Amino acid sequence: MKYALYLGCAIPIKYPGFEAATRMVCKRLGIDLVDLPFGCCPPPTSMKLVHYDSWLALAARNICLAEEQGLDLLTLCSGCVNTLKEANQVLKRNDSKRRKVNKVLEEHNHNFKGSIEVTHILDVLYQDSVVEKLLKEKLIDIPLRVGCHYGCHYFRPPQVMYPEELSPAESYVPVKMDHLLSLIGMEPTEYSRKFLCCGSPLGANMDMDAGYAITRQKIMHIQERHIQAISVVCPSCFEQFDMGQIALSRKTKDLPKIPTFYLTQLIGLSLGMTPKQVGLDVHRVKSRKLLESINISG
Amino acid sequence: MTAMKIWNFFPREALYECYQCARCTGSCPALEVAPAYGPRETILKCLNLGHEAVVQDEKIWLCCTCNVCEDRCPQKIPISDLLVALRNSAARRGNIPGKLSIAIELLAKTGRSMIVHQLDEMRAHHGLEPLPPAPVDEIRQILKKTRLNEVIDF
Repeated sequence: MKYALYLGCAIPIKYPGFEAATRMVCKRLGIDLVDLPFGCCPPPTSMKLVHYDSWLALAARNICLAEEQGLDLLTLCSGCVNTLKEANQVLKRNDSKRRKVNKVLEEHNHNFKGSIEVTHILDVLYQDSVVEKLLKEKLIDIPLRVGCHYGCHYFRPPQVMYPEELSPAESYVPVKMDHLLSLIGMEPTEYSRKFLCCGSPLGANMDMDAGYAITRQKIMHIQERHIQAISVVCPSCFEQFDMGQIALSRKTKDLPKIPTFYLTQLIGLSLGMTPKQVGLDVHRVKSRKLLESINISG
Repeated sequence: MTAMKIWNFFPREALYECYQCARCTGSCPALEVAPAYGPRETILKCLNLGHEAVVQDEKIWLCCTCNVCEDRCPQKIPISDLLVALRNSAARRGNIPGKLSIAIELLAKTGRSMIVHQLDEMRAHHGLEPLPPAPVDEIRQILKKTRLNEVIDF
């Protein structure tokens, strides 16, 4: 199993711990990763809103690099997967857009063919063969109540993100992270507003406080269910929860702080990696005491 | 600045499919915390005032692009396409939040949408190699060709 690893911007620059954890987990589970000279995805929350044609062309360039190696693209971020999946679908279906983009890319020797698929680390880990391999490993149980937050762009719009798996109402309710975490002894717990926004785009583009007001609501609902850990598959959502809880707690003293984890950090811990190895030491909301309470340290 | 036809992005007749049930607006996370319009009112304003008026309003930038509105729309109106088109058109008229234009400029200049000090040290802390430089020249040339400079100088 081999993929072109699309790191994006936020993970290798802001949260390299996620990258380290992902590379180690993939290595253990027999997933080969190939690095290519990618650029920004670019985000569905910035470039796409400002200049659609530029957004499509840069996304196409990233897809072309993977096509040229004959590899599917593996993304680690809900924003990246949204951009790259949508651009891939648009360019495969729309001849005139594809011609236009290829004209822009031709002088750089790229030509979009539509020969690969774009996927996300969660979907890759959820494949039967990977799960079988994971279950053959000696896994450490992580008996914590976990609240999964998928990130809007990971699964919406469902017609673009999961066209093969639509419900009768043509919608899609993600479950893979909950299932995967239950395999490593965690207790996935439902909470109100689970599938709604974390607040990040509003904070980044317009109004930080308004963005955090959304985060605050999510945290209150998460706390209501006595959830001990939040699991995410997106660095923007991560930052919103991790930094957000620090910012919010300055204003509201009694607000509880719930540690946030990137999915592969939790899988890594279960595979016996230490908290430092998977990069938990740099998170703002510390998880040390929580993990020590279940005998995970280091 | 060249004008942009928003109906190339969103089928105009779909506006008339909306019967103002407000299921979208009831789901909108931005509307709850900020003085946004919400999708229902945005569609109504496009019908009543015309999109030319709507794109001059900075409130259209409060949308989180979470796509819940479209997912829950009983009429299956591609609302997120409309919201993308309106903002593309707004940006060309100079209606763009300062934070966002700085972010786009950074992307166009560095090839990445983020920048930090002591990146190599940070990556080494996690046992990672330095990050190879982004292919800035190629990205800039592509952005010149797609005419990003109609919206942002870079």
